[in-house]
Amino acid sequence: MRILRSVRHKLCADGSFMKEFLLDAPVTEGFFAYLGNFGQVESLPGVGEGFYRFEKPDWFSIKGFSGDTTVEVRFKKEVMDLTIDFVYFLVSSFQEGTVDLSGLKKREQVIEERVRKHLYGA
Amino acid sequence: MAIDQKPLIYLNNAATSWPKPPGVLAAIEKSLSLPVFGSGRTTGTQGEDYITKAREGLSSLLGGVPPEHLVFTHNATDSLNILISGFLAGIKGECHALTTALDHNSVLRPLNEYGQQHRIRLDIIPFKDCSVSPDAVEASIRHDTRLMVMTHGSNVLGSVQDIKAIGDLLHDHGIYFIVDGAQTAGHIPVDLESLPIDAFVFTGHKGLLGVPGTGGFYIRDPEAVAPVRFGGTGTDSFSLLHPRGMPERFEIGTHNYPGLAALAAGVEFIEEKGIPSIMEKAEKQTAFLIRELEKEKNITIYNEHPDLPIIAFNIRGLQNDDVGFMLARGYHIIARTGLHCAPLVHDAIDGGEGCVRISHSWFTTDEECRIAADAIRRIAGNADSAVGQA
Repeated sequence: MRILRSVRHKLCADGSFMKEFLLDAPVTEGFFAYLGNFGQVESLPGVGEGFYRFEKPDWFSIKGFSGDTTVEVRFKKEVMDLTIDFVYFLVSSFQEGTVDLSGLKKREQVIEERVRKHLYGA
Repeated sequence: MAIDQKPLIYLNNAATSWPKPPGVLAAIEKSLSLPVFGSGRTTGTQGEDYITKAREGLSSLLGGVPPEHLVFTHNATDSLNILISGFLAGIKGECHALTTALDHNSVLRPLNEYGQQHRIRLDIIPFKDCSVSPDAVEASIRHDTRLMVMTHGSNVLGSVQDIKAIGDLLHDHGIYFIVDGAQTAGHIPVDLESLPIDAFVFTGHKGLLGVPGTGGFYIRDPEAVAPVRFGGTGTDSFSLLHPRGMPERFEIGTHNYPGLAALAAGVEFIEEKGIPSIMEKAEKQTAFLIRELEKEKNITIYNEHPDLPIIAFNIRGLQNDDVGFMLARGYHIIARTGLHCAPLVHDAIDGGEGCVRISHSWFTTDEECRIAADAIRRIAGNADSAVGQA
């Protein structure tokens, strides 16, 4: 899966930075289950075609509907420069079925340290 | 992209009304089909004088005030800045000013900027049950209170304020009274001739059914507010000082002709339908939507009896921006979430978290209201029990 472009963005009242991304394929339940390897996923399957919200605390959240090609990503603004590449990597690494997470996990760990240092100085 | 092919249900009319009457679209096209006719700016005679048409139409809609006392600006915020800055330009030293917690940042920010510059000491009057009481206003008046700026209708709670009673008591104390009618013009009767107010602000792109980039104000006594912008007017061009006559005193540069053509057509549409019919339809649909939303125990409605077609709510267990996203992407229903540029309203009603606002218009159908109510109830019903791990 690929991010084609950012279609909208805004600075939110809570200080987060929102970007709406257009993808080259609709997201699926499997996509959000895959995201669950990196944070918490909540779902409301009875809403629309199925609403999903992924939260990676201190990094970003992703929300979207199953079957939709648009997702909304909210970045913690202070560390957005550190985390935005990971969103692209996360999306482009996804494929239905089994995904090798080892490369992603390594990268996650490196960024995690930088995020922690930036936000908490340790 | 199946989701994007569903028909749109637009419930964000308190921000910008949509769709526009066909006559508005036609007027914009027509205004651009010939060279613009601006008195004093061209020898052309073929075009229509949209500026005069818009001024006269608004004069009629707003109670028959002198058309030349209606000034065109970019929008309501622009008007408020001109009026507040111009009024304070005539005050020596620091004075006391009042506004309300119902007000929009278009009022709060200019006033707070002047507060920071020690030009005013600002008191913000709280509201109760969606309204600011005249008693609360009276209790806030001091010996040096010179200015009060307040909303006519809350953009979050849809409550119309008693500007007649408030204006009467402000005038008893010689306090200048500016009313922000961004949410009321075009929705309810506004008789500026009889209301005890000094200036009334409107915007073109909401209830007046025009387009963004148009707005203005009515001013009773132009001498009370100093002009704060200067430049070309197409009149009295030998003078190197700005003309002080009306409306040139406050109107500078070339007008937004297509925008004012749209505004004139929007006002014409409203006059044709009649404010009573517009109100009746809005009230019926508002009552229906509230009745439907009240059926879901998970929904908190913050304004159960709005005067304007605005409903503010939250769904317990869900963030307001998530609800907005679900409505937009899941059901193709456009609402507005967050603080609505009125942070003090949200401090009072939802702890500053913000809420979901739906606002319908003359063009919203009963069927669209039904679909929207079903979608909101469905989201709320699911939020009740279904939030869990994927």
